[in-house]
Amino acid sequence: MFAQTVWLIPCYPLLGVLLSFFWSPALVRRTGPRPVGYLNLFTTVVALLHSALALKAFWHQPPQFLEFSWLQVADLQLSLPLEISAVTLGASLVITLLNLLVQIYALGYLEADWGWARLYSLLGLFEAGMTALVLCDSLFFSYILLEILTLGTYLIVGYWFNQSLVVSGARDAFLTKRVGDLILLMGVLALYPLAGTWNFSELAVWAETAQVRPLTIALIGIALVSGPVSKCAQFPLHLWLDEAMEGPLPSTILRNSLVVATGAWVLVKLEPVIALSPWASGMAIAVGSISALGGSLIAAAQIDAKRVLSYLASAYMGLIFIAIGSGYTDSALSLVLTHAFATALLIMSVGSIILNTVTQDLTQLGGLWSRRPVTGLSFVFGAAGLLALPPLGGFWALSDLLNHLWQDQQWLSLGIVVATNAVIGFALVRMFGLMFAGDRTPMTARAAEPFWLVVLPMTMMAGLTLHLPLAMNRLGLLTEQLPQGSQFSASLAWILLWSSVLGIAIATFFYIFPRRLSQNQTQDEQADAPIGSAVVQGARQVLARDFYTEEVYAMTAIALVDRLSRFTDWLDRYVIDGLVNLVGLTSLFSGEALKYGNDGRSQFYALTITFFVALIGLYMGWSYLMDWLPTQLTANALSLLP
Amino acid sequence: MLSPLIWLPITGALLIAFLPTQMTAKQARSGALAIAGTVLLWTVWLFTQFDLGNATFQMQEFLPWLPMLGLNYDLALDGLSLMMVALNSLLTWVAIYSSPDKTERPRFFYSLMLMVSGAVAGAFLAQNLLLFFLLFELELIPLYFLISVWGGPKRDYAATKFLLYTASAGVLILIGFLGIAWFGHSFDFSYESVLQVQLPLQAQLILLTILIVGFGIKVPLVPFHTWQPDTYVAASPPVAIMLGGVLAKLGTYGIFRFGMGLFPEAWSIVAPGLATWATVSVLYGSITAIAQKDIKRMVAYSSIGHMGYVLLGASAFTKLSLVGSISQMVSHGLILALLFHLVGIVEDKVGTRQLDVLNGLMNPLRGLPMVSALLILSGMASAGIPGLVGFITEFLVFQGSYSVFPVLTLCCVVGTGLTAVYFVILINRTCFGRLDSQTAYYGKVSADERVPAFVLAALVVVLGLQPSWLVHWSEATSASMVAAIPAAETVQIAEAIPESKL
Repeated sequence: MFAQTVWLIPCYPLLGVLLSFFWSPALVRRTGPRPVGYLNLFTTVVALLHSALALKAFWHQPPQFLEFSWLQVADLQLSLPLEISAVTLGASLVITLLNLLVQIYALGYLEADWGWARLYSLLGLFEAGMTALVLCDSLFFSYILLEILTLGTYLIVGYWFNQSLVVSGARDAFLTKRVGDLILLMGVLALYPLAGTWNFSELAVWAETAQVRPLTIALIGIALVSGPVSKCAQFPLHLWLDEAMEGPLPSTILRNSLVVATGAWVLVKLEPVIALSPWASGMAIAVGSISALGGSLIAAAQIDAKRVLSYLASAYMGLIFIAIGSGYTDSALSLVLTHAFATALLIMSVGSIILNTVTQDLTQLGGLWSRRPVTGLSFVFGAAGLLALPPLGGFWALSDLLNHLWQDQQWLSLGIVVATNAVIGFALVRMFGLMFAGDRTPMTARAAEPFWLVVLPMTMMAGLTLHLPLAMNRLGLLTEQLPQGSQFSASLAWILLWSSVLGIAIATFFYIFPRRLSQNQTQDEQADAPIGSAVVQGARQVLARDFYTEEVYAMTAIALVDRLSRFTDWLDRYVIDGLVNLVGLTSLFSGEALKYGNDGRSQFYALTITFFVALIGLYMGWSYLMDWLPTQLTANALSLLP
Repeated sequence: MLSPLIWLPITGALLIAFLPTQMTAKQARSGALAIAGTVLLWTVWLFTQFDLGNATFQMQEFLPWLPMLGLNYDLALDGLSLMMVALNSLLTWVAIYSSPDKTERPRFFYSLMLMVSGAVAGAFLAQNLLLFFLLFELELIPLYFLISVWGGPKRDYAATKFLLYTASAGVLILIGFLGIAWFGHSFDFSYESVLQVQLPLQAQLILLTILIVGFGIKVPLVPFHTWQPDTYVAASPPVAIMLGGVLAKLGTYGIFRFGMGLFPEAWSIVAPGLATWATVSVLYGSITAIAQKDIKRMVAYSSIGHMGYVLLGASAFTKLSLVGSISQMVSHGLILALLFHLVGIVEDKVGTRQLDVLNGLMNPLRGLPMVSALLILSGMASAGIPGLVGFITEFLVFQGSYSVFPVLTLCCVVGTGLTAVYFVILINRTCFGRLDSQTAYYGKVSADERVPAFVLAALVVVLGLQPSWLVHWSEATSASMVAAIPAAETVQIAEAIPESKL
């Protein structure tokens, strides 16, 4: 029963979205914004229950496919296929679950905001879009959903639209994602004539036997990878994720944990096609490696709490790209899962601090551990869940990936994964040290645990993160390496563990102990504790400024479009239109010359016009006249007869 | 069955203009609205009578007029005409609905609007080349007055420019039509008999080029487009809706009907060039739109870009691309009308259309939240966000054209990216940002202003979610048009391109 009605899961939140439209400002003035929040919370609960029941029904069942016909035109048949399996239903369960927690969190976090109708309808839109995305089995509809989510990102980042940073953040998020989407669209367009289908399952079958020219499939593969590159905030299209932090924090939780992963999900589904071309998979690995190392390094140099987490999301997605490029979709999905929970928890705890310390500047924070133990513990659990620290989820997912890389002798990727793990560990502990260790600052002196509606979802999230390995075990994601771990598997696990410990230890040494020891230093000096040579400073600066990506954008793509548009505008006004006006002027002058030939008597004009109008009228009516006259004449003639 | 589409509005126009009673602006508007509504209902009824499976012309009406000239009153309807007529009836109704209550010289205004509508409907239905030409020219005169009397600043310049351009387009079209008679040695201008005329390829090419340029001015195609931004900017919103939503479609309709339809052999030769031209138009229009500071001008340039997609689909002439192109004409008409209507409201309430001045209209208390929401909707529809009607029609064009012109199609996809750029600029500047509460005392948006916007927005959403309601009508016609074009060349081009594309 729950199987055949799985398509309803995205419909519940969508219904909430549609009903939210009624809470226009006029109605909000009468009812307040709260009903719309509760309404969307209710639809989320329903979607969650439905997902859970359907998952229970589908446990250990073979996947089923449903198809809804959407559009059939000419030789193109577009039907919406749904894949109902334990994996897709599990994903939709995760999405609805995180959404529920985020929506509860938003009740507390945005307690006094008037715009709940917009916020909750957009959260609902994301929920509907993402559940539909995981259920749908078609590249075309995935593209559609990704594109709608791009619009959703624009609107939700622009939530507080009267702040200029918000507006530019929304703009950049939309345009960057749109660039990726359109390259993906190019891939979608190009793939169909070759494969004759957009269904993922059929594409996988096609890819097994496909005979395509290497260049063609390389270009298509690269296009298909490029879409997710912007979705997953990979280099060089990663800047938007950082700017999107200007949006309300609850939406950030959702975005960094789940929405960025939608690109990875589509890529996992497309893996058979991408594997056809070594160029495409090579690009995925290259982009992933750069993002993983670069993102984690940048994260380690930020002083903005939200930024650290946003670059860490890029870095982790980079690891997922490496996994997909190397063909390990199972590891990729495990990474997506562990990343989603851990990141959501980290951002929730950071949000709980930002909410009542009113700052997200790490240099202004410190000494919160004694004041905010619940938040602090949540942060620790989140960090541990993200890192390769047994027994939490990240460890199993990463060691799974590492195993695969070892077996295929991908030493470079293996090194990058291990190094990234260490740097992520460093970045997280550094952040922990700056926020929770050391002395209390003026900003943190009075910080208490916030509103229970914020703390409750945060602690629930912590519980979920801690229990994730159990769930993964049930899902069979751990079985591969848990029981009879062969030799290299065990040594790899140690390498991984040691890399985490190394990163943690260095950061602990620099950021937790100095803060405990140096009571008398000022805040600024403390923040710059590990002072090095000019080279180190320079490197820090480059990392802190995100490799100057923003400036590079401004000098290349943005400048190009800007100059080009100004140039065509100039061309249009002065050259093309100028020519037209020149022609116009010439004829005007000749007209001026001609007019002296007229005498200007209006009677003459009138006569001329009347004459010719009559002539034309006579001519045009001639056929009727010819028909009509003879009959009249004969009639008259007949009447004249005696 | 078809004549009422022409004669109802024209009779109505004459009634409103010449009834001796004193009429207030409100009465004139309601009268015109009633007539436009009747025409709209009649169009809906036509949809119920339309035979979907039939690819030939339906509901033929014939009345001999000047047989010795080859000019007869000959109307009929196929999928293409049906879509165009429907767009015309709907947008006439919307344009009249969105005309302000306080229009000056109301009787003259509304009768001219109805005249335009009747003449355009006639042009879309005409099965006789000369009749088409007459009605094509007939629409020009009322529009000239509509622009030059009720327009904004620089209206005289714009109206004259419009008149000159359209008149020269008319001359080219007439030359083309007469050339067919000249080369074919037959002075029967009915569409069916012209179809039978066998012309040498050389002559076909010449005539086709003349016609494409003639209609291309109307579309408009770069570089014959400079009348269009000036005219759209100078025209009042209802007139701009008619101009951009309906009149521009006369150009693409003409290219479909009299270019592709009459010269299939030459068409397959011209097509690659035309596709390139269309792509240049798309990119040029979209890029130039980014630099505009006036919303109307921006929308005008965006319109150049969007009409380019129609021609891309036409030059690819696959079944899918033609259906896409025809639907794109409709979707562009709907979205453009919505945009112009909203811009009209903004201009009316705030008093400016300048992107540098506007700010923060989404403010729920002092701003225009509903208008802003709809502006976002229409901008995103125009930028091709899925779920709205703009996406699916563009997508059909792209998918249909890709197999024939892969590189050009991908360039046009870049065009939709640029569309997103300027609509984000538009939305960021007008809807987002901080509203200055000291100066923001905007009038209330009345129900009369909301209704047309809601109707159009509903269509944009519904047809976007359920596109089969839009595309099915023109499927049979597109199939028969493709079938008329020599298959050998189609295949040849289709096979030649993928080799060279990479």
